[in-house]
Amino acid sequence: MIDIIQIIITSPFLQRALLAAVLVAVIAAASGTFLVFRGLSFMASGVAHAALGGTALGIFLQESGLVPWFDPVLGALLFSVLVAIFTGYAGESGITQKMEVAVGVSFALSMSLAVFLMYYIPPYRVPQIWGYLVGDILLLNDLDVIMLASTAVLLGVITLMFNKEFVYVSVDMEGSVAHGMNARAYHYLMLIISALAIALATKAVGAILVYAILVAPAAASNELVKSVRGVIITVFMIALIAELIGLTTSFVVYVSPSAIAGILAALSYILALQVKRIRERVHMDVEETTSTPADLVETFNQSIAIEEKRDHNHEH
Amino acid sequence: MSTPPLIEAHNLAVRYPNGELALHNVSFTINSPSFMAIIGPNGSGKSTLVKAALGLIKPAQGSIKVLGYDSVKQVSKIRKLVRYVPQRDRIELAVPMKVKDIVLMGRLLKKLPPRFASSRDTEIAKEALRQVNMESLWNHPFPELSGGQRQRVLVARALAGEGSILVLDEPLAGTDVESQDLIVDALGRYHRENDVSIIMITHDLNPIHTMVQDVLLLKNTVIGIGEPCSIMEPELIKKVYGPTAKIVEHSGHRYCLTRDSGFDRHD
Repeated sequence: MIDIIQIIITSPFLQRALLAAVLVAVIAAASGTFLVFRGLSFMASGVAHAALGGTALGIFLQESGLVPWFDPVLGALLFSVLVAIFTGYAGESGITQKMEVAVGVSFALSMSLAVFLMYYIPPYRVPQIWGYLVGDILLLNDLDVIMLASTAVLLGVITLMFNKEFVYVSVDMEGSVAHGMNARAYHYLMLIISALAIALATKAVGAILVYAILVAPAAASNELVKSVRGVIITVFMIALIAELIGLTTSFVVYVSPSAIAGILAALSYILALQVKRIRERVHMDVEETTSTPADLVETFNQSIAIEEKRDHNHEH
Repeated sequence: MSTPPLIEAHNLAVRYPNGELALHNVSFTINSPSFMAIIGPNGSGKSTLVKAALGLIKPAQGSIKVLGYDSVKQVSKIRKLVRYVPQRDRIELAVPMKVKDIVLMGRLLKKLPPRFASSRDTEIAKEALRQVNMESLWNHPFPELSGGQRQRVLVARALAGEGSILVLDEPLAGTDVESQDLIVDALGRYHRENDVSIIMITHDLNPIHTMVQDVLLLKNTVIGIGEPCSIMEPELIKKVYGPTAKIVEHSGHRYCLTRDSGFDRHD
């Protein structure tokens, strides 16, 4: 135990990784939860890939000399916000299927754009684009952590302030509007702030980990936990534990911490489904043993008896 | 000073989102306060009329006013007065809401963020659930309730809220007799004891026709308006609901029999 603490104190990259693990868990709890509530888990993946397309555009603008100051991160943020606005626009009436389609279209568009631009980017910068896909939580620099921290804090504060609004928009968009709530503003706020957080988390830890950590724990908790607050807390716990086990394992065995965390997060969902099924089976057993109310049975028998009597009389 | 009419429509025409004309040449006035029913077969524009009144859909032509406020220009005034319950299947069940969360929504939606529930809010919400005999399920997950129970909770959401107009879209659709009676009694009692108007969309007037004051019969335009018994005219109902619709008289009341069931949706 003391050894581990010593290692953590002496290695800044490990400190950054641990901090990032907590921050990504915060993003998963705040953003992943509400995306799953809205049936929009696919958006985490869509935004992560849009960030990749945006990065390609940023590098292209830089390298071609068109806009030399354009940092690739700006491209990633721009594209993710565009995806959020496009998705929000498609779903203004509150219909989830339309938003899923919008995410799918923007996913395809930004990946195509990324591949298109790769032909015009110097080969030595192409790995930077793919870095968005794989990422490594152990290779973060201070700037990455600061950006991740600021977006996680912003997202956390906004979610604390407006979680009821986000829930109401998810549950009953039409009713919320009719009661005078500015549902459209909250609808866009939720999507845009989530997209920003996903884009920065993607840059930090890679799209695959972001997708696994944002979606699977939220989906798992939503199967088992029966209150909004409960789901948020459970998501944070599952995400954090998965990431910490991932990091720890990577010290003992030669593995990628993100891969372990992603696998664990996915397993949590499968486990949740199993637990739910077992619970339902227990419920069914209970229902089989409960008998029909005696007075109803009696009434029914009486009515049949009267019916028979009548038939009997009729024959004579 | 006389109160402005509950709803006043002038030559109103509204389109569905797909461009089809849902309502045309709609002009009528309903005085306030009232317990009114909007009836008509599926696809007759009942929900559309209500959505136009609440400013959720813009009229293609003409205007509709609620308590004197125009549905386009003064929509925020209308929304302060209204408690609205959409059709049951518009409520998303993927969110783990408790029964209490749904009922409190009726009160918290009219507050400003962070919308905390005071002990008074909780008290009123519990009383509203008691009205529809659901108070024992206060902490129960809403998505696990049966259809009729969910509908009762949604009616309680309207009862718990504030604002002088309750608007309910098909609150009796897909409910059994017990839930229907509870809902109808609760609404009737609430209307008698409070200075509120109730606007209820239904395709079946029977469960409420002893309670409502005004009935608006729609089939893409106003077919009839008046007291329940004047709308329950055999010829009129046959024309609107089709030749299988029948009116029967039982203990002094007219009842309408149609094969029409289920509720309509227009996305």
